[in-house]
Amino acid sequence: MFPETAQCLKAVAPLFSQTVLLKDLSRLSTYGGGSHFQARRHLSISRCLTAKVRPVRTLRERVEIPGLEAVTYGEKMHYVPGLSKPFQPQWERSYKDPGHYRSPPAHEMPLFKDSSCFVFNQRTSALEGVLQALWLTKTKLIPSLPPQLLSLSENPANQIPDQDERVQNAIKHARFWDSTEERPGKERYSNTMMVNLLHLCATLQSSHPAIGRRIQAEKCSLATKWKRGEDLFQIRGQNGLLHTCMDPLPEVSGKQEVSDTADHVLETFYPVSPTINLQKVNVYKEEINCSGFRDDYPYPHAHTLFFLEGADANCKLRPDQFRAKMLMFTFGNALVRAQKLYGPQRVLDRPVTVQAVGTNGRIFQFMVFQLNTTDLSGDEGIKNQVWLDEDVELYDFAKVRPLIKKKQVKVPAGLAGYKPGAFSKFLSLYLHGAV
Amino acid sequence: MAARTRLPLLFPKNLPPFRNQRLAHTEAAVKEPAYPPIIPSLTAKSKSARGRQVDEQVQKICASPVEEKLSLITRIQRMKFVVYPQTFARNADTWYQHFTKTAYIPGLPEKYTLSPERETGGEEEQPAAAQTTVPGVGHDGFTEIRSLVTRVILQEHWQLRNRAPFLYRKQEQTVGPFLRNLVTGLTFSLAKYNPLFLSSSLDIDPNVHFYWRRGQTIIPKGHRRGRQEPTRFQIDDRPNSQIRITEQLPQFISLEDSYAAEVQEVTLSPSVMPLFRRQYDNNMFTGAKLPDPACYGHTQFHLVPDRYHRDRMSRLQQSDQVEVFLRANALTSLFAWTGAQAMYQGFWNHEDVTRPFVSQAVITDGKFFSFFCYQLNTVALSVETDANNPRKNLLWGTESLRLYDSVQDGEVVGLNDDVLKLLVQFLMNKQ
Repeated sequence: MFPETAQCLKAVAPLFSQTVLLKDLSRLSTYGGGSHFQARRHLSISRCLTAKVRPVRTLRERVEIPGLEAVTYGEKMHYVPGLSKPFQPQWERSYKDPGHYRSPPAHEMPLFKDSSCFVFNQRTSALEGVLQALWLTKTKLIPSLPPQLLSLSENPANQIPDQDERVQNAIKHARFWDSTEERPGKERYSNTMMVNLLHLCATLQSSHPAIGRRIQAEKCSLATKWKRGEDLFQIRGQNGLLHTCMDPLPEVSGKQEVSDTADHVLETFYPVSPTINLQKVNVYKEEINCSGFRDDYPYPHAHTLFFLEGADANCKLRPDQFRAKMLMFTFGNALVRAQKLYGPQRVLDRPVTVQAVGTNGRIFQFMVFQLNTTDLSGDEGIKNQVWLDEDVELYDFAKVRPLIKKKQVKVPAGLAGYKPGAFSKFLSLYLHGAV
Repeated sequence: MAARTRLPLLFPKNLPPFRNQRLAHTEAAVKEPAYPPIIPSLTAKSKSARGRQVDEQVQKICASPVEEKLSLITRIQRMKFVVYPQTFARNADTWYQHFTKTAYIPGLPEKYTLSPERETGGEEEQPAAAQTTVPGVGHDGFTEIRSLVTRVILQEHWQLRNRAPFLYRKQEQTVGPFLRNLVTGLTFSLAKYNPLFLSSSLDIDPNVHFYWRRGQTIIPKGHRRGRQEPTRFQIDDRPNSQIRITEQLPQFISLEDSYAAEVQEVTLSPSVMPLFRRQYDNNMFTGAKLPDPACYGHTQFHLVPDRYHRDRMSRLQQSDQVEVFLRANALTSLFAWTGAQAMYQGFWNHEDVTRPFVSQAVITDGKFFSFFCYQLNTVALSVETDANNPRKNLLWGTESLRLYDSVQDGEVVGLNDDVLKLLVQFLMNKQ
């Protein structure tokens, strides 16, 4: 079956675009199959999709003996039996053609280093999830949001008029009313939901002018590094939606709590190494510290990061891994800022605070990260802190048709089970620093 | 003699003398009709029967609630011309004006003035300050907005690093986020001056659909050959972003004043334009479904894609089509939006709008901004209803105005205050 499908695909391949070819490739790969053909990827411009891997023929080594040069048929310009084949050096183009470029092997690249570096990017799925992220960032976890933050939204001056009704309208718009289809897909509705909720929060700008000192940025690339023990770690990737502010966020925990974290012991998960699932590279830039903006950016302080589970179609993260990704990127943003302001490897006098919100359209994860130290080489000393509120549901069900079991309506159509607590937490995170 | 003159056989001697005089003080007796009124049949194979079927359908639609109305109007799928707001066709705006019965008026309505307002009576106190104020915003507010816009421009073009745009996707990847940032920033800064925005809804990348019939053609081939068929049109639009509000914007001019406007007629068939026909779901959509409370439109923002960017058009020697493209885009997008808004209120072909529907649009390619206002005065565009309909829809529009010259060394060079003022005035439009 496999050679036939390869043949059909080869015949049909010119009609499809490159992306479709790669999708078919993943389908055809021997995942769970018993075929002894291992499909090899042809990531080139030419149209061949898959090919049977031919056994590698090791060429007989050509030995050059100085006194005994072989007589070749090169000068005769035609093959003569008995004479040896002339040596032809590999032809290289004199100009640069990006379509036919072979990159040099890793050890010949200019940025090659002997010691490897572990990179966390936006598609990394850490095996141990939040525990691994806590170890990598030398952080102590506090399993709920800080109380002073929650009290922000209980103050009636900070609430939106008709808050519940408007939030429910926002949810219904995202889940039901956004497009002509009956139900928009998950990617679309989670994005629309986030935009709608942010729109609602931002209407408070008329009463809280400090909200006007923020701006949003999409798709800025973060890159920073830190050392942990003998290993070098880097975090690189696109953040998702980032809200930056002209003023830094106030610190959440006082000096006493910060010094108490020195007694906390980081949890290890022996025998699994903390560097599991991280991309190991030998070609990297040693000194890298880039927040995605230039140095004279008027909004340098990262305020909140917004993560969507469905943003990357090729990368489906489980909830724990998603939270780990949130934690790592929040830490990365805080680290970039701290390293720019204070330099590397020291305990910070003024901690840097960054927030993050992650969602899949219904369930929210709220996170407040406080970077107390950039001295991450040892396991002792002051640790960073993170307040994490996991799996906060905004509503129970948003069904287009009611769920009926045994002629009884179990879940009615429309929005069911709205919980106002989730939006209050969202609002308090939004207003933090602006009140 | 009796036979020739058709007199009765028995000729009465006295003809009743007072035949023509009615008795003054009695009323004529009202006779109940003995038989029901004679109306055409419903099921016969005749033109009058067909006419009666159409009338019954129209009455059924008029009598039903809005949701049912929409589904009854858009129920049957037939081949229709798909009108693209962003099109490569030459002189598309003339064609689209004919399809939508819209008159184009260059310039903007009196509400929006480009020239600085001078105080009456010859006093010129601080003309510089008068030039930079927008009514309702104030000098400080305007400087704040100016600095916000500067920062947004700089963020996109100067501050943000690590972005090499793909070929022909530069607009989508650079100017798209810039426009979104600009819209969100401006909307919330102006929310304190324009309370409509506090209850508004901002859509990113929404869908707008509209379906209508205009004119008729003769079916050339098939079993219905030779008969008249209405030409159907459909618009499917995707603006970059739009603001929807809960209350309607006030009209620019009254319905009666639109009678004087002239619409350019095009006698050729739409397929000459070129316009192509397809058959699929007939949709009418403002950006959100019927139950949404924000059912009226305020402003749409459109992005000029790389394909129609003025640099590429000048390379193809079609620089004159740049403005035409912008006008055609604004016309169709706004007609579709206002038409869908009118449909959501229950107005349709046979029940024309009782109040005008008003919306605005800003079309930009990053540097050049064009502003358009649209007033929908009539939805009755099909053959039966258009015969005695003097109303016309109106589109006001500007040429493309440059917002800034360039970005150099972290500075925006040549920011045009007039354009900014116009943008702010546009967003300040309220009841």
